Amino acid sequence: MIEVKEPKKELPLIGTMKAMLVVAKHLFQKPVTVQYPEQKRELPDRFRYRIFLSLDDCVGCTLCEQVCPNLSIHMQKVDRENPRNKRKIYPDVNFGTCTVCRNCEEICPTDAIYLTHVFETARTRNSFTYSPEELSLPEEEVVK
Amino acid sequence: MVNTQISKPDDNGWVELNMGPQHPSTHGVLRLKVKLDGEIVKEIEPVIGYLHRNAEKICELDYYCDSLIYFDRMDYVGAMNMEVGYLEAAEKLLGIPPPERAQWIRVVMAELNRIAAHLVWAGAYGLDLGMLTPFFYCFVEREKVLRIFTEVCGSRQETNYMSIGGVYQDFNDKIIHDILEFTEQFPKKLEDIFSSFVKNDIFIARTKGIGILEPEVALDYGVTGPMLRASGVEYDVRKAEPYLVYDKINFDIPVSYRKDNLARFLVRFEEMRQSIKIINQAVKKIPDGPYFNPKAKKSLMIRLRGEGEVYARTESSKGEFSVYLVGDGGVKPYRLRVRSPSLKNLSILPYLAKDTMIADLVAISGTLDLVFGEVDR
Amino acid sequence: MNVLTRLADFFAALGHYPAYVLAYLFETLFMIVFVMVSFIVMIYLFRKYMARLQLRIGPNRVGKFGTLQLMADALKLVGKESILPAGRDDLPFRIAPLIVFIGLIMGFALLPYGPLYYIGSLTVTHSDVSLLLLFAALAIMPIGEILAGVSSKNKYAIVGALRGVAKDVSFEVPMMISVLALVMMASARTANPLNLTNLVEVQFIPYGIPQIIGLGVFFIAMVARASFSPFDMGESDSELVTGHTTEYTGMRFGLFYIGLFGSIFLSSLIVSLLYLGGYNGPYSSYLGFIYLLIKALILVLVSFTIWLSVPRIRIDRFVNMGWKYLLPASIINLIIAGIITLGVGI
Repeated sequence: MIEVKEPKKELPLIGTMKAMLVVAKHLFQKPVTVQYPEQKRELPDRFRYRIFLSLDDCVGCTLCEQVCPNLSIHMQKVDRENPRNKRKIYPDVNFGTCTVCRNCEEICPTDAIYLTHVFETARTRNSFTYSPEELSLPEEEVVK
Repeated sequence: MVNTQISKPDDNGWVELNMGPQHPSTHGVLRLKVKLDGEIVKEIEPVIGYLHRNAEKICELDYYCDSLIYFDRMDYVGAMNMEVGYLEAAEKLLGIPPPERAQWIRVVMAELNRIAAHLVWAGAYGLDLGMLTPFFYCFVEREKVLRIFTEVCGSRQETNYMSIGGVYQDFNDKIIHDILEFTEQFPKKLEDIFSSFVKNDIFIARTKGIGILEPEVALDYGVTGPMLRASGVEYDVRKAEPYLVYDKINFDIPVSYRKDNLARFLVRFEEMRQSIKIINQAVKKIPDGPYFNPKAKKSLMIRLRGEGEVYARTESSKGEFSVYLVGDGGVKPYRLRVRSPSLKNLSILPYLAKDTMIADLVAISGTLDLVFGEVDR
Repeated sequence: MNVLTRLADFFAALGHYPAYVLAYLFETLFMIVFVMVSFIVMIYLFRKYMARLQLRIGPNRVGKFGTLQLMADALKLVGKESILPAGRDDLPFRIAPLIVFIGLIMGFALLPYGPLYYIGSLTVTHSDVSLLLLFAALAIMPIGEILAGVSSKNKYAIVGALRGVAKDVSFEVPMMISVLALVMMASARTANPLNLTNLVEVQFIPYGIPQIIGLGVFFIAMVARASFSPFDMGESDSELVTGHTTEYTGMRFGLFYIGLFGSIFLSSLIVSLLYLGGYNGPYSSYLGFIYLLIKALILVLVSFTIWLSVPRIRIDRFVNMGWKYLLPASIINLIIAGIITLGVGI
């Protein structure tokens, strides 16, 4: 338990000038702005955004669909030969509602669904839902 | 039907003014129905619910592990503290205590987020009073905290970092190095921000002696957190009922007996200094071992069942945040109820700002540190 | 030889009257261009300066180093729909922005920018009592702001206008008393101290040095007149949304914006003319304009720093300050000025 210290009393006008000096000092500091499209900050390793799906690893267990908190993931029938995925169902993701909570990544037993550094997904589109095939493609190839 | 006439004063000669929900100083969507006698505020009626998202009910419809993302969005500037609050309750109910290492990691993250939340508050408070620049200094520092969060868990604000039975990702050497670097350079910057406020005699004039909150009244209204401590009540859940490993850490609770706006400002800044102290100790004390309770391992996340009822209290950056959780043996909670500090702190506003001027109303509502995700839930 | 006669000589081939009509026209045009250019420079400077203090970069996308950003903003404002609130008082609502703008231009038109009255001031306004005219012109802008506040029938706007009135009343008396001290001091050396050129030319040492208190009072009053922070209670954005301009959109709002930034420049010019020696200096007939501008720019930067670092003063405290501190200070300044005038005779 400590009692906070009172700040030193400043005289009127003189205090104002001192505060002005404190602020004006920053004129000589470097700006912190990152000029985004030209300069890009290095992304940390664990940065997460765009969900990818490895079609070969997915076993169609529907755990990701169950764990998704806001029902962004739904299972879709995909006609694809995969001996591990007998039911031929794969998740699609609605990025309009996805909150990037990575619960799906955590729960996936085969690490088929995972989040990546790709975050520049802005484009003209008809739907926010990525089909399982689109989820497995890099972002540039998804553009129809 | 559009009423184009400006409303007439009532019998007392008071004019009703509607501040918000789209108003620059109401921090989101607070709506205040204010009765004005000239410049003097006579009556205030806060109207809430504009950000109501039904979070408690949605949590009852989801698995235990999914509720976390809704807690992130309650106090969206202090998501880690919200997660700690929920997990205190959920882990008690499900009987999955986190391992020692996870507890220390949680303390570090919660205190880092407390700093970030207080910095947001300090910057916004400056804006409320009309000083534009300290806001940016606060946010530059906060950005460094969020950078650490991105390093740790890959997300800046809505982190979803802690999970039932531990944390999702472990600390590594680089993260510990980053945190120590931050705690080393931050105090100097903090004093810089602090002096840009308190050296200013106009700032002191706007805060000193304004919005005096007597401790008895504060206790009656259920005000907690820095608001209560600034009124001279020495109460902090971290000391009164230690959770996680706060009882193994040496830190002080700042208290001020001034009771006014300035006291709340000073208490929050002192809390940031104490948080640095906590982080510095906790980072060095993180033991080796698992960061995840094997009982709650990945694929079991949605199979966790709990029965009974628990109530857990934690100290978020706004005040006492507690969660009441009832389980009926299923995989989803039967009932979840949140006691959010911002709502209780908001209830004091009509008392505090009565018979002050409009400018003081803004200055007082700024010190409440309202986050509407948490008030409306 | 002033600008008007030079212009008239230029058009002399057209005959006496047409030449003078054209000369007046061009002079007015030059003045408006000068005001607009100074306004653009002001805002660009403000944005860049503000950005650097706040560890940002500022506008840098439109044009080289963002120089054309203001043009883009102006185009945006012109292109926007000007929404008229349904319950307004139509005529006052429409003319209020114009009154603010005209008041601003009149202030600029009356200032001497050098011993010869450079481009920027109007010859027709040159007078033996230009100091009085200047303060009369300065009193126009608040009228526009009050009209705007009352006619938009918005409670925020009305409270803003009320605050504006309370503010104007409390700083104008000390302001005029400090100017009185100035005139008193100048009257020892010149027969006509109410003429601005005379008032500037007698300042061998800037009058701000003997009258340091007067300079302080006058500067505070001028910052308050320009509604710059910390005296922007009339349009305080965190309390009253934007005060008297709440209901204005589009170019009508743009005129208020011009009024705000133009008037801080105008205030700085007046302070540097009256207290900081104005355009006096070596080769002042050619370089005087530069001296004046440099002084004014330094004052503008000081005002910007105050804006950015200081919270808003509560209106009742400002009224208190005006009557309890500024007024006695200006009277003390008057007494000191009298003693100096009688005893030393600067």
